[in-house]
Amino acid sequence: MQYMLLIHEDESAYAGENGGAVMEATLAGHMKLMEELGAAGVAFSGERLREAHTATTIRYENGGEGTLHDGPFAETHEELGGFYLIEAKDHDEAVRWARMIPIPGNGAVEVRPVWQE
Amino acid sequence: MQFRDLDLAEDAFSAACEAALREEAPIRDPAAWAFVAARRRALDVLRKAAREARALSARPEADDMGDVIAFPDPIPDDRLRLLFTCCHPALAPEARIALALRVICGVSVGRIARAFLATESATYQRITRAKAKIRAARIPFETPPPSEWGVRVGAVLETLETALGIAYRNAAGEGETEGLAHEVERLAALLAELMPDEAEAHGLASLVLLVRSREGARVDGNGTMVPLSQQDVALWDARRIEAGRTALDRATALRNPGPLQTLAAIHLAHAMRWRTGRTDWIAVLRLYDMLLAMRPTPVVAINRAVALSRAHPPEEGLAALDALDAERLADFLPFHAARADLLVLAGRREDARAAYEAALALAPEAAEARFLAAQLAALPD
Repeated sequence: MQYMLLIHEDESAYAGENGGAVMEATLAGHMKLMEELGAAGVAFSGERLREAHTATTIRYENGGEGTLHDGPFAETHEELGGFYLIEAKDHDEAVRWARMIPIPGNGAVEVRPVWQE
Repeated sequence: MQFRDLDLAEDAFSAACEAALREEAPIRDPAAWAFVAARRRALDVLRKAAREARALSARPEADDMGDVIAFPDPIPDDRLRLLFTCCHPALAPEARIALALRVICGVSVGRIARAFLATESATYQRITRAKAKIRAARIPFETPPPSEWGVRVGAVLETLETALGIAYRNAAGEGETEGLAHEVERLAALLAELMPDEAEAHGLASLVLLVRSREGARVDGNGTMVPLSQQDVALWDARRIEAGRTALDRATALRNPGPLQTLAAIHLAHAMRWRTGRTDWIAVLRLYDMLLAMRPTPVVAINRAVALSRAHPPEEGLAALDALDAERLADFLPFHAARADLLVLAGRREDARAAYEAALALAPEAAEARFLAAQLAALPD
């Protein structure tokens, strides 16, 4: 069964003096995760997203046309930074993989089952 | 009815503990031995907790065989799997209790709703949603693997402890909440039976038995709450006290102390008033010191302050309460109720009056409200 792992992180962790090092460490963590997924034979895909300020959101209220807004959907301290789509046998296995996603500082990883027929 | 004394307890401990017990526990009662033995292990607990925290945050190995925590063959009992599934941390805490009661104990939705002071349809929806999540997210019906054992057992214990709190939210123990207490007792006993090597499971079973032992004394004929120290011990259930003692023995024999065992030891120390006619507040205080180290929460700090005020001059208990964050606790009823009690002891009537009024303003349930109102009325002008 497929699960989407949504990565919410505080982009400011990558800014500032130490930002470069944090980014390197995080990317290394992702490389490691992808290696382990591969070694375990787990089917997956994933992408890193551009910064939240590059987003455009189409908002709908009671359906209708939808209006364009500058910026991401959620105005929170953490932004959606990327995702993985993985194949896992059950919820707990998906969570085990999700726990391996590196999150510097504050953030969250949401584990959402994908609708299946 | 003879209470077994330290002699039997000593059988369960190593020679080192025995020596310490003889030296340090002039009062020979179960609370003292539980305290001393556990105190010696307190550092071990903290070290173990730190180790487990590190293990949990470490990357899970694809192969579980290398895990440090050895544990027995998987228990094929379906009831244990059900308990783990119903109490999965991925489910909301109230949903866990409702699910466990419905699925494992077969309690009707109506009775669960009344215990939660919720509507039947809201409770039904909560249970349905929890089952839907289990299905949609494919939460497995399994006992957890070694790497997750600690967290998952903790979730089950937390669920049952919360359920116990709900059962006693209404001190008058109306028909429905009495039923809930009975189910919690059953589940706790089941858990201890299915996990005989889990000290905290026996600790929980002990706690539930000891809390239930006082059911008959909790509320007087007028529906007014009677605080523990004033309860008529003749109305206590000696059979449950003894069973609670036995369960705590089993827990401490495993030499793995934890908050539930410490809480049970506190309740057992109170239960000793049945035999000795007095409460050993110094033992209670020491146990609260230990509990506070394991569970640094306002509730524990407040209860410790009350014990402090009984073991030492009440001003010390008040100082301990004053050290807490009054702003954070402004809407916390137990804080005001405890303050009022200690202020009376310290002879500060006007401040006590204000504290009782603050407590009553937070709308306690009926039996406690009657008690607080009576205390307020009894203050001399």
